[in-house]
Parts: sequence; structure tokens; C-alpha cells
Amino acid sequence: MNEITKLQPGLEPGVGVSSGGGPAITLGQGDGLDAHTRRTLLQQERAIARKYSSNGKAMWPYTVITLGCFAMWLAFWPLAMLDIMPLWIGFPLSCIFAAGGYITSHEAMHSNIGRPGTPQRFWNEAVGEVATIILIFPFSMARMMHLHHHYYTNDPEKDPDYTDAAPGKYSAWYKTWLNRQPGVDGSIHHYKRVLERIGTPAAKKALRDTMLLQLFSMAFFFAMSWAGYAMEVALLWWLPRHIGLSYIRYWLSWAPHHPRTGTGRYDNTRVFRTWIGHWLSMGMQYHVVHHLYPEVPNHLTRSAYRELKPILEARGVDCSPLKD
Amino acid sequence: MVYEKLTIMQTALRQLFHWMPFLFGIGFIAPLIAQTMAYWDIPAPLGISRIAFGLMIGAPWGLYATLRGRWL
Repeated sequence: MNEITKLQPGLEPGVGVSSGGGPAITLGQGDGLDAHTRRTLLQQERAIARKYSSNGKAMWPYTVITLGCFAMWLAFWPLAMLDIMPLWIGFPLSCIFAAGGYITSHEAMHSNIGRPGTPQRFWNEAVGEVATIILIFPFSMARMMHLHHHYYTNDPEKDPDYTDAAPGKYSAWYKTWLNRQPGVDGSIHHYKRVLERIGTPAAKKALRDTMLLQLFSMAFFFAMSWAGYAMEVALLWWLPRHIGLSYIRYWLSWAPHHPRTGTGRYDNTRVFRTWIGHWLSMGMQYHVVHHLYPEVPNHLTRSAYRELKPILEARGVDCSPLKD
Repeated sequence: MVYEKLTIMQTALRQLFHWMPFLFGIGFIAPLIAQTMAYWDIPAPLGISRIAFGLMIGAPWGLYATLRGRWL
């Protein structure tokens, strides 16, 4: 019998209240737990999370991958323009860099690559700044909006990502495109409005960074296109950006939060299984771990989930979609 | 004075971003159409140049996106 079943005898397999092994007053799951049980579970939860929390010294692969991929992407331009590298090689790799860049940037948003005041802090900020350039999504905006998403998850008014809500997977994919349309209040347009509403110096800086990156990228698009390299722009930046944004919007926002009804600590995400698997879904099946403990890096959420699973179930999280 | 300059700049930038889909149609879609046609060796209709044909598609499409708020 583990610590959790000790706390909740009703959870012990094969031992129900009727057998006489349970308490006089049964301890329910989720909100039905008494204060002592909740506190003890939280302590156990935190002890497990601490084991998996990021250590800046061990996060160097994120830095190497991000800077390496960005350098490769920059190299694609002269290589493609000089016909040294065919675009059919650069295009899929640029799509992977665009979508994957968000994952490494995401670690930087939570300071998992380097906490403030540590020697790794410089690399944390460098990864954040570089990783989402292909998405034309500055780090200052990305970090601020993502932290707001954590503070107000699934709040229709305050969660910046709430515009990704959709009733089903097909409509969710459609919405990823729709939200980027010039006149639709979704995606980065919505972020701009949220930042204007926040109005702090940091929000103003994020708006300025966004404007500068958008102006720079459009100037680059137009200059390169009229210089005869429109296909290079289309296949190394424009299409990868759109494909990458749709991919991350679907897998990182819609899938782990659908149907966006819960706003509590244990019900603002969902555990789900997907046929595309752990890597292609970017670890989002275990997103509950990330919302509970953002300091657990993406590559460790699965291991942390496996250890946390009994506690999560005791707290009422439906872990049935994932057997392991 | 400084505030007025800032307001004028903000207004100009807002207008620039408002018309960005139209500029995108001219700046990117038009040459992309022309260069794609050249890559596949497709001539422009009515004896016009490929870039003129690209502009005939890209500019109104960008204008449509600006006015309607959607590309499709």
C-alpha cells in the first residue's frame, strides 16, 4: 500500500468501504478531500516535482539545439539562393525549426534554461530571443502572454489563448488559420490587444518588439521577393511560419486544454492519448504536469507524470486515457 | 510637441499595419505568382508580363483581405 492509498483507503484496489477496511466517513476524490489529505498530497506532489525540476547546467542541449537550428536556418538562405541546396530540403526542416522553436522558447519563458542570477541566464534569454524568430513572434510578447495563460488558464476574458477554443479537432485546425486572419481577434492580434490593456512598461516593450519584428520581416519579404527570391521566402519562412503556428496552436493550446471549461489547478488541462505519439505531440499528453509545475522541463514531464499519477488521480484528474 | 509627434507616428504605424495585407499582396504575392509561373514555364495570359499578371492577382487580393479582414 503506498502513501496515497494509506491516506485514502477507498482507493485501495479491492478494498471498499463495505468491506470494513475504509473510514467511517469516506474521503471523496478531487474537491471532496479533507484539508489534511489535500495538504499531504500537495507535499508529496511537490517532493516529486522537485526531483524533476530543471537544472540550468543540464539544460544545455536546449541551447545547442536552438542556436544550431537557427544557424542552419540562416544558412539555408544563401544555400538556396545560390542553388547549392534544393528548397525541398530547406522547406520541411524550416517547418520543424518553426514548430520546434516554440518548445525551446517555452523553456526559456519559464526560465528553465537559466534562472535569474545564474551563469546560465544569458543562454536562457538568448534561446528565447532566437527560437521564435521564424514564427515572427518576439520573446517579450511570447513570455508575457504565456505567463498570463498560466495565471488565467481557460478564463474566457483573461486567458490570452482562449481564442483557440473550438468544439472539435477539425474546427480547431481551421481556427488556427482563422485566428491569423487580419480582421479576426485571435492569435497575435489578440495578444496585441491584451498587451495594450495591460499597459505596463513591459507590455509596451513587448508591443514595440512585435512591431519591429513584423516590420523587419515584411521588409525582408518584400525586398527578397522583388529581388527574385519569392519562392525562397515562401518555402523557408512564410509557409513554415504558418505551418508551425498552426501546429503549435493545435497541439500546445487546443489539444491539452480542450474543452477549456475547467479553471482549477487540476482541471484546467486534460490528460489525453494521441496516435501521433509523445514526440510529435511535443509531450502535450502530460501537459497537466507542466501547468502544475512549469519548472519541470518538457523532456521530463512524462517521467514526472508517471510518478505523480496516483496523486493526480486522487485529486480527481482523469488519467484513464494514458495507461502508463 | 513630443506627444504630438508620438501620436502622429502611432497613427502612421497603425495605418501601415492596417494596409499591410494590401502591401503584402503587392510586395510578396505578386512576385511569388510571377516567379512560380516562370519556374513552371507558364506564360501570362493576354500577352502581359508575368509580374503584371502577379500584380493583377496580388493587389486586389491584398485589398480584399484589408477590407474584409480575411484572405479567403
